[in-house]
Amino acid sequence: MSRHTHGLRAWLLQRISAVYLAMFLLYILVHCLRHGAHSYAQWQAWLTLPLMNIASAGFIIALMAHAWVGMRDVILDYIKPLGLRLGLLSLTGLLLAGSGLWALRSLLLAAVRAT
Amino acid sequence: MTDPQNAPVFLNLFRIRFPAGAVASIAHRISGVMLFLSLPFLAWLLDLSLQGPDGYARAVELLQPVWVRLGSALIVWSLLHHLIAGIRFLLIDIHIGVSLPVARISAWAASMTALLLALLYAWWLL
Repeated sequence: MSRHTHGLRAWLLQRISAVYLAMFLLYILVHCLRHGAHSYAQWQAWLTLPLMNIASAGFIIALMAHAWVGMRDVILDYIKPLGLRLGLLSLTGLLLAGSGLWALRSLLLAAVRAT
Repeated sequence: MTDPQNAPVFLNLFRIRFPAGAVASIAHRISGVMLFLSLPFLAWLLDLSLQGPDGYARAVELLQPVWVRLGSALIVWSLLHHLIAGIRFLLIDIHIGVSLPVARISAWAASMTALLLALLYAWWLL
């Protein structure tokens, strides 16, 4: 059963994360167009608002899932030799986990400092 | 029937037709990979910008050189294309705009909108 639903789960995860990423990005875009350039104080205050801080962390988590499924699809489609494929998949996972956790840490530290 | 073993190989890229849907689709992949590759840099910028007034000033400073601005225009195109073409794919998933004439027009419109907005951004930036 789980073997058969595996592809469907990834497909669904890709779509659900896409909807969240798109909505968040459109909000950011509208905010930046209306607001213009930020000073540090405005930027820090905006990203440490509790709702914005949590929504941004959600964005990073959704992005990690979305980018993993997408990069996995691309690698499996174009890279056939098994060794190279596993190597690239591992690098992708490392880069994604590294960047994502780093960004989450920055958001969390900024929120802690703001309290 | 031609023997498949001896069938002529036709791989002149200038003579293979790429319909709008194929262009939007391959550009969706290319932009996705470029966005993925930009993530460490973006995480670094976010971290720097939240470290304090000095870090924020340094992050702004890092974005000033012309080659970084050109790179950012490429990332902005990737984001716009990935977002707009992605919304088109989501709509097709729920059976909106599936018919070939509509899908061709929307593919063309999505690619062109992303390109135009990215050019507008580059023009504003430089």
